[in-house]
Amino acid sequence: MKLPFDKGAVTQGPLRQVQPELETLLDAAIDGVMIVDHKGRVRLMSHAAEMMFDRQETDVLGNNITLLLPEFETLLQTHVIPVAANGNSLRRNRSLGQHHETTGLRSDGIPFEVELGVGTVRGIEPSRYIVFVRDISQRKRRDEALRRSEAALHTAQALADIGNYVIHKDGVTEDYASPQLIRMFGWTVVSNEPFGNLTKRMLASIHPADRVAVAAAFDELELGSQNMDINYRIINTKIEISYIHHLAQLIRDSQGRAVQHVGTVHDITQKQLADYELQQMQNRITHSGRVSILGEMATGIAHEVNQPLTAIATYAKACLRLLSNGDCSLEETSATLEQIAQQALRAGEVIRRMRSFVRYHEAKPELVDGNHLLEELVQLAQTDAHYHATQLVIEPSPQSLMVQADQVQVQQVLLNLVRNSIDAMQDVAESHRIIRLRATLNNFGDVEFMVADRGHGITPEIARELFNPFYTTKVSGTGLGLSISQSIIRAHGGKLWHDDNPEGGARFYFTLPRAS
Amino acid sequence: MSTTATIFIVDDDPAVQQSLRMLFRSVGYRTEVFNSGQLFLESYGDDWAGCIVLDMRMPGMSGLEMQQQLNDRQSILPVIFMTGHGDVPMAVEAMQGGAVDFIQKPFNDQDLIDRVIQAVNKDKSNREALNEQNEIRKRLQTLTARETEILHMVVNGRANKVIAEDLELSQRTVEIHRARVMEKMQATSLAHLVRLVIAADMNELSDVGVTRLTRV
Repeated sequence: MKLPFDKGAVTQGPLRQVQPELETLLDAAIDGVMIVDHKGRVRLMSHAAEMMFDRQETDVLGNNITLLLPEFETLLQTHVIPVAANGNSLRRNRSLGQHHETTGLRSDGIPFEVELGVGTVRGIEPSRYIVFVRDISQRKRRDEALRRSEAALHTAQALADIGNYVIHKDGVTEDYASPQLIRMFGWTVVSNEPFGNLTKRMLASIHPADRVAVAAAFDELELGSQNMDINYRIINTKIEISYIHHLAQLIRDSQGRAVQHVGTVHDITQKQLADYELQQMQNRITHSGRVSILGEMATGIAHEVNQPLTAIATYAKACLRLLSNGDCSLEETSATLEQIAQQALRAGEVIRRMRSFVRYHEAKPELVDGNHLLEELVQLAQTDAHYHATQLVIEPSPQSLMVQADQVQVQQVLLNLVRNSIDAMQDVAESHRIIRLRATLNNFGDVEFMVADRGHGITPEIARELFNPFYTTKVSGTGLGLSISQSIIRAHGGKLWHDDNPEGGARFYFTLPRAS
Repeated sequence: MSTTATIFIVDDDPAVQQSLRMLFRSVGYRTEVFNSGQLFLESYGDDWAGCIVLDMRMPGMSGLEMQQQLNDRQSILPVIFMTGHGDVPMAVEAMQGGAVDFIQKPFNDQDLIDRVIQAVNKDKSNREALNEQNEIRKRLQTLTARETEILHMVVNGRANKVIAEDLELSQRTVEIHRARVMEKMQATSLAHLVRLVIAADMNELSDVGVTRLTRV
């Protein structure tokens, strides 16, 4: 590239000495540089400008610059010329400076965004202009991408009900809370106003019952726990409760000092409600399973209540007869009355046990011994077993077999298995109607329960269908007992299965994780 | 245990046992209590008189099974079953097995007492009939072969003359045999003799349902 100055002008004075430096300067410039004469003709095009517009200097020289910058003339008129005309300082005539954006055209006609800087060369007539061109299309794209990604993040946060925040620990930088977080917590925030202490602000919105736990979790994070993962409720200004799942981490510098506390909050109210609904549904199904087991046992229960009632009526009548015969001492009378009271309590106990079994309740895991569960079961099932001339035999385990379980639900599973066993043995001689019950610790460290009978057993055809809902071999069965049992055991983190009893009949097993 | 009427209570429920015991004592009956059918059968003897008040449903051996075993041992002791609600099919089976009665728990005291009195009376008359029968059979066994032959012919309404011809005996000899038969059978008349023979052959224990009277 040769500087296209008039021979006279360039060959004189100090410019002559600096010409090679100027040429190098132009070649090295990152921005494109062009020189345009008073008619808008391009007189020089630097290498960077050639690259930018995808043109050769030789093809452009002498052509009007509007070929490259269609708006150049207009810009020149509106920005440079008036300023140049008014400007009394010769150094101020470059008002079409940076920050002025316009469109450039590549040789293939594709437009791109440029930033222009134009200067009017001093002291020569007619005017010449030096034009700096910077391709800003990439920066524009980055800005646009960033803007879009921020918008997308906010939209995503709004859609997913997730908000995020940053708490700065330097005591200087303002804390940040995303718009969705602010919406979620129901705050009214005036933009540009200092946010205040975000931690305090969040804690103030948390349900009083959960506040202590959350504050403790925040503290733990400060004291060095890896991360925070906590669910709590917040109450917004409209006194509406939302369920929040909150995850947070503390970012530390190389010295281990806390720099930022960053976290996300997720509104899980819908999920929580859905979970609750599901749980309710499950509870109702489980409950109906218990009601139906009880229905199957109704005759046996009636029989069991009949025994004390029979004793009560007979004691009372016998005592009356003896009294009228003068054959009943005061001692015998009071002993008989005592018996009557006991039998009434006994009948009440049968009913109480059944009622507490069949009452609707929310599943509540408790720490309980496996052996104890079996003893309770025998209390519950004795009635029916007795009625069907079946013996229940517990093989006690010397170990303590603590499990974390909902007692009523595990009783339901056991009772269901025992009921099935009783039914399976109705064609067996009464002396053989024995159900063995056992709880042991298995090889995997789980507590394993067994209900073994000597009934008709389970054929492969039946085994295939066994756990399917509504499958039943009983005349009046619902076919839900085993599938409910299976879902109860699964919900407890165990499994339920069966095998053939070598003595004949079937053995059912289930496991519950051992509680430490 | 004894020939005096006793109420044998078989029920696994101690309260039911004890209250029944009191009730029967109030009407003056002796009682014996058994926790299970097995225990009852272990001590049961032919000479036990009175009646059994038996629970239908017991663990181990049911009331029906016990009744069956008593039948196998040709017991004539009447059985009153105590049943729960809804045990009708079992009660039917029990009746077919010869139970005198059944009563549903909880029961009216008078109702049970009436049935027990009825059963005890029936047992008494059955036992008397059985004793009489055994007595007659003993007498029959004292007859010689010729006397037995002539007894059957007499009971079948043959005149002495016909018997003498059939047996190619003199009429006088037949008369002597016949007198010996009347004497040995302690019959006061021909009609009496006929009744004794019928009593020895036929089942007089109509309601008990136990038809085998082979005990002597």
